[in-house]
Amino acid sequence: MKQFLLKFWGHCVRLTARWPSIGSIAPFIPVIAAWWIVTELQIFPRVFLPGPMEVVRSFGSLVYTGILPAYLQDSIVRLAVGTFWGIALGIPLGILLGLSQRARTALWPLLLFFQAIGDIAWLPILVIWFGYGLTTITVVIVYTVIFPVVLNTVLGVRSTPITLHRAAQSLGASRIRILWEVVLPGALPNIVTGLRNGLGYGWRALIATEIIVGTSGIGFLMFDARRSGSVVEILLGMIILGILWYIVDSWILAPIERATGQRWGLVTR
Amino acid sequence: MPHRLSSALWFCAPFIVLIVLWAVFIPYFDVNPRLFPHLSSVVQAGIEGIQDGTLVQHISASLLRVAVGTVLALLVAIPLGVAMGVSPFVSNFLTPLFRFFSVLAGIAWIPIATLWFGYGFGAITFVIFNAVFFIVTYNTLLGVSTIPIHVRNAAASLGAGRWAMLTEVLLPGALPNIVTGIRTGLGFAWRGLIAAEMIATNVGLGYMLFVARDFYRTEVIVLGMIVIGVLWLLLDRLVLAPIERATIERWGMVRRA
Repeated sequence: MKQFLLKFWGHCVRLTARWPSIGSIAPFIPVIAAWWIVTELQIFPRVFLPGPMEVVRSFGSLVYTGILPAYLQDSIVRLAVGTFWGIALGIPLGILLGLSQRARTALWPLLLFFQAIGDIAWLPILVIWFGYGLTTITVVIVYTVIFPVVLNTVLGVRSTPITLHRAAQSLGASRIRILWEVVLPGALPNIVTGLRNGLGYGWRALIATEIIVGTSGIGFLMFDARRSGSVVEILLGMIILGILWYIVDSWILAPIERATGQRWGLVTR
Repeated sequence: MPHRLSSALWFCAPFIVLIVLWAVFIPYFDVNPRLFPHLSSVVQAGIEGIQDGTLVQHISASLLRVAVGTVLALLVAIPLGVAMGVSPFVSNFLTPLFRFFSVLAGIAWIPIATLWFGYGFGAITFVIFNAVFFIVTYNTLLGVSTIPIHVRNAAASLGAGRWAMLTEVLLPGALPNIVTGIRTGLGFAWRGLIAAEMIATNVGLGYMLFVARDFYRTEVIVLGMIVIGVLWLLLDRLVLAPIERATIERWGMVRRA
């Protein structure tokens, strides 16, 4: 028996060494098993805590009826549009603030204050201005994404050593070339970090907005399910959110962050 | 001292400009108060709110929820995080799980929290607990597991008992991470609080905003937004950021470049 277990263990270790992603799935197996056992034993009423099988079944039926793919697409498109504008406005603003002392004294306190208000507190007045719809949701996401991007860009621009500036200048680089070849690459690792933080907040803002003012999307799916008391769909929504963000964060954002950090990072070891 | 005074003045100057612009341009362009309120009506709404006690009531309800949720979360999260972080095997195994749940933290739990606990104090405190708990546990886990093993070995070979190991190696080593975790977690919790109060209660700042929207009372909405901003700014800049800076300077492993 012991022999068998050791052999099995060795097999597991070799398997996770070959495909590291299996290692990150493994911890979920006992959790799902525990969830399944708890629901089978009926410790909580079924209405309050449905089992994994029911969630999978509702996933199947929602995909089959086409609701889930459509909602998922809505959410992702909103997040993408909002993030795009957040980056397009945030990076130039950040560079301006990073390069100009005057702009910084004028705008920095305002930036801190408006960041503190928080995206969700804007919802009521945005609904009055723009009604229920894509504009409101996009504005909220842009608002959420832009602050971490701006603050981190400023940090990045300010942390490029002044010697690099002067070297480029004395070699005869024009202002635009300095911007393009010194300031931007120097700030890039910070910008990416800011983007990652911003998306983390933007993601949550999207969910909150869809819950409160949405007419479609994953957040709306969850809140609609809550209204009709269907815990299965709420759980399904949460699981999809978690998986989706996990994929975006650890397969897209984290590698980009690592790559820019290695390529352009000024972290001196 | 004069330097600090002048920097404080410079910090306030943009706000004064903004307020003056607001006071001048909104009446000048005759903006409909249903779209954006006049400065005077916001001030009036603030004074009324303080006089009849509703504003104070909303603020104290919100702050109480944050305090209860955060304290409960910290009491559970820090011991749990330390316990799990001690063994590298356990911490490696559990890291993806906690990353997954810290992604979900806060707002995504609102629908199910209201179903489990009903509308009110329980659901909102649960949402805040959740936002803080997973992020702090994850950060504690990370903090403890990144303490260099030779530091722990050194303490062990000098005869440190379990208690001394905990209080003099593990906790101080993880403290910068714990504090960062608390700050991030509270940031999410604060947003989650506002969102949850819009949906699931009858008192609190989020509720105040959302009810004002039903009656197009923009002056109350703007007042609420300002209160939310100021409260968070005070909490973050005057309480959390200094603590974070102090712990990182005192116990941080980051060597200054």
